[in-house]
Amino acid sequence: MSAAGDRPIIEAGPEGGFALGPLDGLLNLARKHSLWYLLFGTACCAIELMQTGGPRADADRFGFLFRPTPRQADVLILAGTITYRMASRIRRLHEQMAEPRYVIAMGSCANTGGLFQGSYSVVKGGDLIVPVDVYIPGCPPRPEALLEGLMLLQQKVEREPYLRKIRGELPLPADPWPAGKECKE
Amino acid sequence: MSPAEELATCQAALAGALGEAPTVGGAAPDPAGAAAPAGDAWLEVPAARWREACRAARDLPELGFDFLRSLAGVDRPEAGRIDVVAHLFSYRHRRALVLRTSLERAAPELDSVAQVWPAADWHERELWDLLGVRLRGHPDLRRLLLPEDWPGHPLRKDWQEPAEYRGIPTRREARATAGELAKQTYLAPRGLGRDPAGGQPDGGGGA
Amino acid sequence: MGFDLGMVLGFLVVSGVALLALLLLGKLLRPHRPEASKRVTYECGEPAVGPAWFNFNNRFYVIALVFVVFDVEVALVVPVAVVFREAVAAGAGLLAFTEMFLFLAVLLVALVYVWARGDLTWVRALTAGECREVEVGPRSPAP
Repeated sequence: MSAAGDRPIIEAGPEGGFALGPLDGLLNLARKHSLWYLLFGTACCAIELMQTGGPRADADRFGFLFRPTPRQADVLILAGTITYRMASRIRRLHEQMAEPRYVIAMGSCANTGGLFQGSYSVVKGGDLIVPVDVYIPGCPPRPEALLEGLMLLQQKVEREPYLRKIRGELPLPADPWPAGKECKE
Repeated sequence: MSPAEELATCQAALAGALGEAPTVGGAAPDPAGAAAPAGDAWLEVPAARWREACRAARDLPELGFDFLRSLAGVDRPEAGRIDVVAHLFSYRHRRALVLRTSLERAAPELDSVAQVWPAADWHERELWDLLGVRLRGHPDLRRLLLPEDWPGHPLRKDWQEPAEYRGIPTRREARATAGELAKQTYLAPRGLGRDPAGGQPDGGGGA
Repeated sequence: MGFDLGMVLGFLVVSGVALLALLLLGKLLRPHRPEASKRVTYECGEPAVGPAWFNFNNRFYVIALVFVVFDVEVALVVPVAVVFREAVAAGAGLLAFTEMFLFLAVLLVALVYVWARGDLTWVRALTAGECREVEVGPRSPAP
């Protein structure tokens, strides 16, 4: 029995094509080419995110479409500095996304707090609030770097044992901020 | 008018309005009347006459400072004072002025000038938020930038950062344990010529 | 005729089955982790305040009514414009023109009425008689 994450064989001929592989592989193939990200950004990285969605470094050719609501989004890209006041909002947005959901920390501020290490009002990294899958370094990362990060996420999605995930046999990622559940404001 | 003369005019006008002349502080303007700006010269008024002085600065025709550029605070723990500095500008006379007052650091209170210049509303909220200066008569004095339940006033020089806020640690070193760092693997996209770092299962994330 | 209706029925059945099949496929292929926090009303991350239903300004109603009237007018004028050349060739050009002119004139009267009444201005200016002194709240600057 082939392991989950074996890449499907894809044949494209002049009259069409087919893909052959384990069910996990086929489902992940479909999923990884259709990861929709939430339109979210707080600071300069959001500008680069917009450019990545623009015509030159087109993220849409990979299937990354932006959605304004978390209900229809698969990926939350933390683009920009996160302040303590914003933390509860990010937490709420993440909770409102339906599973399977992923988080990408884009830029120094979302990775570790960035250049605002000494600031009292900046959260030192998005992974103190929500579980992060991919970290993209840069200040801000160029659109090419963001695309590389998105491709890494695609690889991660590709390797997932998706059928086990549907059945609920995979453990949830560790919650970095359990007190975030009670945030009322 | 040279900057020195302008400062003297403003000082005289305010003296007429308040009954006592505000003192000149900062770099003294060049008495020779050079064209170069006077630099950081300011007029200092007593805190009890702050609102009167601001109103006079706006309303007196020879002053006419109808534009508040900024209202900020300076924490001086070595002198036990907190200063409030207002940068004003007059469109009619095309000149700027700096008004300054000094407050007791233990219990800093000042009259709000939000009724004089509406822009002062949020500047005073920032004074309260970051320095703890209580503004009397302010229509809506609450924190502007920080969350409502934030402890203390961070721009004070003796403010201590708490270890965590609502459960979020304020320092990242707490998280960087050896085990956690080892779990984070870097993967290169296939076909770019770099070796992937082995097929290890992933650390964090991946709901 | 019977064959056409059969096609319609087949179409309805197939589309219904396809819809159900896709929904079933979705249900089989997604994780199921219901949580109360997922059903919270979305308000850009802020805690939701107030009801989702609110009173619309009735300017929208007025503008929509006016739009419907003139949209129908356009829809009725366009066919005449399309065949106008043939009507001219058949000698009824003047008749067609006069009829359309009268039709548009009636609706022009309606437009003038709506315009003069002030229904087309988005923000209506108040006349002196409609104003009264209100107490100024604390946030207004004192003169």
